[in-house]
Amino acid sequence: MPIEWAKPLPHPTALSQPFWDGTKQREIWLQRCGACEAYRFPPLVLCRNCLSEDHQWVPTSGTGTIYSYVIQHRPATPAFIDDLPYVVAIVELDEGPLMLTNIVGCPFEDLDVGMRVMATYVDASPEITLYPFTPTAEPR
Amino acid sequence: MPAPRDVAIVGVHATKQGRNLGRSALSLMLEAFNGALDDAGMTKNDVDGMVAFDFPAGTGAGTSLGEIAFQLDTPMRFISQFSGVPALLYAAAMIRDHVADVIAIPFGGTQEETDGATAAYTRPGYEFTEWTGSTTPAQMALQTRRHMAVYGTTREHLAHCAMVLRNNAHINPEAVMFGRGPYTAQDVLDSRMIADPYTLLMCALVNDGGSCIIVTSADRAKDCKHLPVWVLSGGIGCYYTSYYFPPTLQPLETRGRMLDAFTRAGVTHDDIDFVTTYDHFASGVLMEYEAAGFCEVGEGGPFCMDHIGLDQRFPVSPDGGNIGYSHCINPYNLRIIEAVRQFRNDTPDLCPNAHLGEHTYDRTICRKVRDPKLAVACGPFTGAFSMSILAKA
Repeated sequence: MPIEWAKPLPHPTALSQPFWDGTKQREIWLQRCGACEAYRFPPLVLCRNCLSEDHQWVPTSGTGTIYSYVIQHRPATPAFIDDLPYVVAIVELDEGPLMLTNIVGCPFEDLDVGMRVMATYVDASPEITLYPFTPTAEPR
Repeated sequence: MPAPRDVAIVGVHATKQGRNLGRSALSLMLEAFNGALDDAGMTKNDVDGMVAFDFPAGTGAGTSLGEIAFQLDTPMRFISQFSGVPALLYAAAMIRDHVADVIAIPFGGTQEETDGATAAYTRPGYEFTEWTGSTTPAQMALQTRRHMAVYGTTREHLAHCAMVLRNNAHINPEAVMFGRGPYTAQDVLDSRMIADPYTLLMCALVNDGGSCIIVTSADRAKDCKHLPVWVLSGGIGCYYTSYYFPPTLQPLETRGRMLDAFTRAGVTHDDIDFVTTYDHFASGVLMEYEAAGFCEVGEGGPFCMDHIGLDQRFPVSPDGGNIGYSHCINPYNLRIIEAVRQFRNDTPDLCPNAHLGEHTYDRTICRKVRDPKLAVACGPFTGAFSMSILAKA
């Protein structure tokens, strides 16, 4: 575990805390609607499909495909300078929702929309485990 | 059936737009507010409605009816929060329904609200965004990369859009990037990479400036200084909050309602003389031509290659847009103001007698659209899209 994480860290809310409990256990947990079983992310009080409040946080595959990606050549803040260039991406999870993340462990020339990726886990603080994605070993 | 000519833009004003003007946002807003009222031949006491982001009335923090009424010492009949095209459409609806008679849409912004390179409000500390190191360009570039993957849009298409806007700004003495060109598409491609696929010259500016639009009824417009510009119709579609939810191409789905707006206006795309797209980045240009129905969804890139130049069929933002003229934190109003100024033949450029309204149409010095009668002005293509159809009286 790094001694000091210089980059900004998320501040979980009562609504989102279960998601961060999940990443600490090396899993992507999503809200699944108790009424219609639709998954949703980022955390929402109500289901996007049926507006039910009833939901469970459930472990999911942690896999998906790249919906889009960008190679950042300019840091969001000085804290990101050492990471340049880095990849910001949207992953379409196999359960449906889109998730903003980073892609790590992939040569830039291999990046592609539709590429299969899976979550990896980085303990950034005792409370927060981040979830950059990386290409799966599966053939495309 | 043509739309009734019942709601008019009668006053517009843009302050000097520039970097580090040394003015407060409120000072710029009030200069624009007073300038637009003067342009309309009105005073603050004529205003009975307002659409503005955070107009610092009353306590300095509020935007309620009462706070703005007290600040202006004039009873308010309608207040809402927005700017640019959506604000114009709200105002038009309220005027058509006689809820209010004269609605102001003021804005002022400064770089104090930013770090001078990106607008700070566009990269808030969102729980699921900030840790990734995402920036404003990254969010829009994600949308753009998706468009490239799905439809085959290329960097060359993006570079062409940016080049056209920057060359329009190059001959606009009021533009922040005046005299900085001319540019080739290759210059755009060769500029520093910011958020691949965006290079520096594909990105909008960040600068200071104020703007204001005054909207009223056809009846009240008769007493104004200038001929009215009619607000024929428009459309709005909103899908998600930018920067919090991952960006998608959903705003393209507004296309059907934008086609409806043409039907309601009683005009066709062929009737349109120019388009002021909202170019936060070069991608905004080509996606907005698609969403507004000038071409099919996915064909914006090839379409822009031979339609958006000043002498081509549907010229884009002759002022240079957000990329070359001004991105004063919130440049929404400027897209409408440029349309009005083209109709009024109030378009400063390098033509020797431009100040007399005489234009050469030599595109190395002239940014005047030939005899424009109809324009489409657009709002941002972020988690939403909006468009209005404007007609010269």
